[in-house]
Amino acid sequence: MNILLCSVNTLKTFFEISSVEVGQHLYWQLGGFQVHAQVLITSWVVIAILLVSAILVVRNPQTIPTFGQNFFEYVLEFIRDVSKTQIGEEYGPWVPFVGTMFLFIFVSNWSGALLPWKIIQLPHGELAAPTNDINTTVALALLTSVAYFYAGLSKKGLAYFGKYIQPTPILLPINILEDFTKPLSLSFRLFGNILADELVVVVLVSLVPLVVPIPVMFLGLFTSGIQALIFATLAAAYIGESMEGHH
Amino acid sequence: MANMIMASSRTLIRASTVSPPPPPSQKLPILNHITLPRLQLPLLNNLSLQIPIPHPNQTLKSLSVLAATSLALAPPSLAVEIEKAALFDFNLTLPIIMVEFLLLMVALDKVYFSPLGKFMDERDAAIREKLSSVKDTSSEVKQLEEQAVAVMKAARAEISAALNQMKKETQAEVEEKIAEGRKKVEAELQEALASLEKQKEETIKSLDSQITALSQEIVKKVLPTV
Repeated sequence: MNILLCSVNTLKTFFEISSVEVGQHLYWQLGGFQVHAQVLITSWVVIAILLVSAILVVRNPQTIPTFGQNFFEYVLEFIRDVSKTQIGEEYGPWVPFVGTMFLFIFVSNWSGALLPWKIIQLPHGELAAPTNDINTTVALALLTSVAYFYAGLSKKGLAYFGKYIQPTPILLPINILEDFTKPLSLSFRLFGNILADELVVVVLVSLVPLVVPIPVMFLGLFTSGIQALIFATLAAAYIGESMEGHH
Repeated sequence: MANMIMASSRTLIRASTVSPPPPPSQKLPILNHITLPRLQLPLLNNLSLQIPIPHPNQTLKSLSVLAATSLALAPPSLAVEIEKAALFDFNLTLPIIMVEFLLLMVALDKVYFSPLGKFMDERDAAIREKLSSVKDTSSEVKQLEEQAVAVMKAARAEISAALNQMKKETQAEVEEKIAEGRKKVEAELQEALASLEKQKEETIKSLDSQITALSQEIVKKVLPTV
């Protein structure tokens, strides 16, 4: 009896110190529906960062670029290179999509890791990267699905559906399954990485707040950047795959 | 702590109505954090209403067993009380994020991708053009140089041809003049020679007569008695 109470008490003190909040959302009501307000707020901040910095830097392009313009040119060249490698020669119209995907996810992840969101106290839940919410990642993955369908259909018309029986009709169920696993894997990969990284950092900070979390934070920055790249590259790869010609 | 439980459970057994949760100090340890179930009194109420109050020692044992089982059985019936960790909570956020992303894509395209992309492409094309034009002018320069050399050669050839011609002409003239002069000189020479011959003959003739005279005189002088 005593042992039970003692263990319960220690657990209680631990949790009072750590206060790890998982899956707590700030709910707003829009019409008859609920939204996760913390995701919307942080996504607005990310959008603001992207648009304001782009407008400020790209205002007067010089032939010999300034530091900011050079950086943005580098980013654009990088995105173009990714699109070109994956999609091929007709990559031009898809650069905005792939680029926005990459930039949105990258800035979301890094803002979640770097910006001091905890300063703003929400009545319920807390602010963090918008990509730590399943809604965001599934939204992006579904958009990617729509994009590669649109790419295939606009290029080949209804002959696009012939790809389901390539190379042999026996693979038809697998090809159909792919259309479900592609967005599923995209969304869960991103969601799991970002949420898990946040959790690890928070738990480590609650246990040993001084030096130990720092390598994990750097790891988090690195992997979240890689995840943005992976998401964008895979999106481009799926688009390229739907658009590619006859084997 | 055991007494605490005993005391709290005694009050439970006496109270028959479900009352709002009493202050924390009287309850079983409550975990303030929302992810763990809050143990509320009503549960113990449900389980322990029917039990009569036996001897304290027996009460302690049975109540401890009750407490343990209630802790173990807490989750299902406390589903209302636990705040669910809503990880897979799909709601209107999903389409809103989709719309936000599409708007962001259009905005970024208008502000960043298109203008900067066009600028970079134009700059590339301009640089390439300049490079190729530089290559062209160097070949042009070579052509011009060759032309100049050819022109110079032609000019030189002209000059030497003209020079040669002039030389030839003047030489012919000069030779003519020389021949003329020579002729004159020869003619004069002949004349002079001829006149000298004449003079010689005349002198010889005069000498001859003088020689005769002289010889007669000599004879006279040598042979006076004759």
